[in-house]
Amino acid sequence: MSRPNYAEISVEHLTKQYAKVRAVDDLSFTVNAGRVTGFLGPNGAGKTTALRMILGLVTPTSGTATIGGVRYTDMPDPIRRVGAILEASSAHRGRSARNHLRVICRAAGLPDQRADEVLALVGLNTVGTRKFKGYSLGMKQRLGIAAAMLGDPRVLILDEPTNGLDPEGIRWMRDLLKALAAEGRTVLVSSHLLGEMQQLADDVVIIAAGRLIRQGPVAEVLGATAGMARVRVRTPQAEQFAAALRDEKLEVVATADGTLQVTGADTARVGHLAFTAGVELHELTGEGADLERAFLDLTAGKAGAR
Amino acid sequence: MNLIRAELLKLFTTSLWWIFAIVLLPLWGLALGYNWLAANVTLGTEGGDGELAGFGSVESVVSGLYTSGQSAGVLLVVLLGAIMVTGEFFHLTATSTFLTTPRRERVIVAKMIVAVGIAVSVWLLTTVLNLAAAPLALGNLNKPSYLAESFVWQAIGLNGLAFVLWALVGVGAGVLIRSQIGTVITLSVLYVIGTQVLTLIFFALSEYVWEPFMQLRVLVPTLASDLLITGPQLDDDPPRWVGGLILFGYATVTAVIGTLITKRRDIA
Repeated sequence: MSRPNYAEISVEHLTKQYAKVRAVDDLSFTVNAGRVTGFLGPNGAGKTTALRMILGLVTPTSGTATIGGVRYTDMPDPIRRVGAILEASSAHRGRSARNHLRVICRAAGLPDQRADEVLALVGLNTVGTRKFKGYSLGMKQRLGIAAAMLGDPRVLILDEPTNGLDPEGIRWMRDLLKALAAEGRTVLVSSHLLGEMQQLADDVVIIAAGRLIRQGPVAEVLGATAGMARVRVRTPQAEQFAAALRDEKLEVVATADGTLQVTGADTARVGHLAFTAGVELHELTGEGADLERAFLDLTAGKAGAR
Repeated sequence: MNLIRAELLKLFTTSLWWIFAIVLLPLWGLALGYNWLAANVTLGTEGGDGELAGFGSVESVVSGLYTSGQSAGVLLVVLLGAIMVTGEFFHLTATSTFLTTPRRERVIVAKMIVAVGIAVSVWLLTTVLNLAAAPLALGNLNKPSYLAESFVWQAIGLNGLAFVLWALVGVGAGVLIRSQIGTVITLSVLYVIGTQVLTLIFFALSEYVWEPFMQLRVLVPTLASDLLITGPQLDDDPPRWVGGLILFGYATVTAVIGTLITKRRDIA
């Protein structure tokens, strides 16, 4: 199913200057097809402004953004190419969810029945005739996904889609986005929740203060910034095992509670070393090079008040 | 065409339209009652002295009867046209609308076409009601229906033109002002109270500053509309077509400037 990876979204030297703030500053990055790309940055980093420029809602001061080589505003049928979720509360309070979707269908020249199909896709088919004001935040996010899927687009752009979702909703969203990317679609999803992105994204684009900090596959960004993973080990033979690990050129720190902290190897390698050294293990926990730490390292000092 | 269907669906899937419809009917009834009273005074007085009673000539009271509901109907059409635009921002649906149709001027044009359609519908509805009720009121005064007179049909036709032009002014004003509450208050105040206040101002200006100011009062949209429908009231008033032209000018200017602004505006 998966298509070859090629740059589907291309952002080149994008800049947005407001009266006093340069919200996006000479930003360039690419987003590949068939992958989930996390668009990360602290609050106020310019993520939303950048996404709105890609979608033609905000006019760039300079630079360009294209999707499949075409600017959004030049697309004759954008709904069939690009699905977007920008804010959860973007339907008329007094209009039913189904009618909200049918309005988009009519404007885009899609058959009305598409509204019912996408409602079923997101599990809202039984409450489609309910007015939008009666929707919970989670239902609104699902409706946003439904609207984005109306034209069965190859590209999805989502701004903080997990905001306000409960853990079950977050997992649902994660599985859906992964499945959509696995079908060969391009998925660009912004977030400031980094743990979330670590489980979801294949690639990350990290920005702060409107500028690109780093772009690349998640593993690469983690490896390049925060060093390798950390593993916590609890064993009754702590001293013996620490020596064995140091023989392997691993950095070992004995902590006050009797555990060892090993840097430079993953749990598989540490477990294997314990096995070959004949050491009994009571605990083996990977603490991961987490994206959060990488992210904080990368954006440190760059997210100040602007 | 797709966009017009989308705008119609937007309009009829919220409660706004039927609230306006419910408000329209009693206001039409009030207007008819008032115009019947005026006709009663003018036509009911023997010897033609009724014209001096302050309600105007036979032509104007009969035209008034046949265009009953005009002031309320036009106000509702103006507000509806404006809310069709401001509601997109008030309810945060502008994002969805302009994502679906990035060529924003097409959305504005579709809204104008729908607003004009609503204007024509309201005009048709009130006209049908008037054609039924006015002959009864006139018959009650032992007068003919005047339906053979061309001035009646001219008044009805110009009434329709005023409806259409005001619908365009409404959409244009909505685009220009954008704030839902701001637009509704501005238009209502201008329409209902503004006419009297501005007439007084122009009267004062012509009395104390420069006499021809009185003629410039037709620049006030509501007075231009009056001129279009009822014709010149003072001896040196310009002819009716000037009123139509001024109203058309307002509609065009608000629409063009509004559309240009909408095209450039950041939707955040």
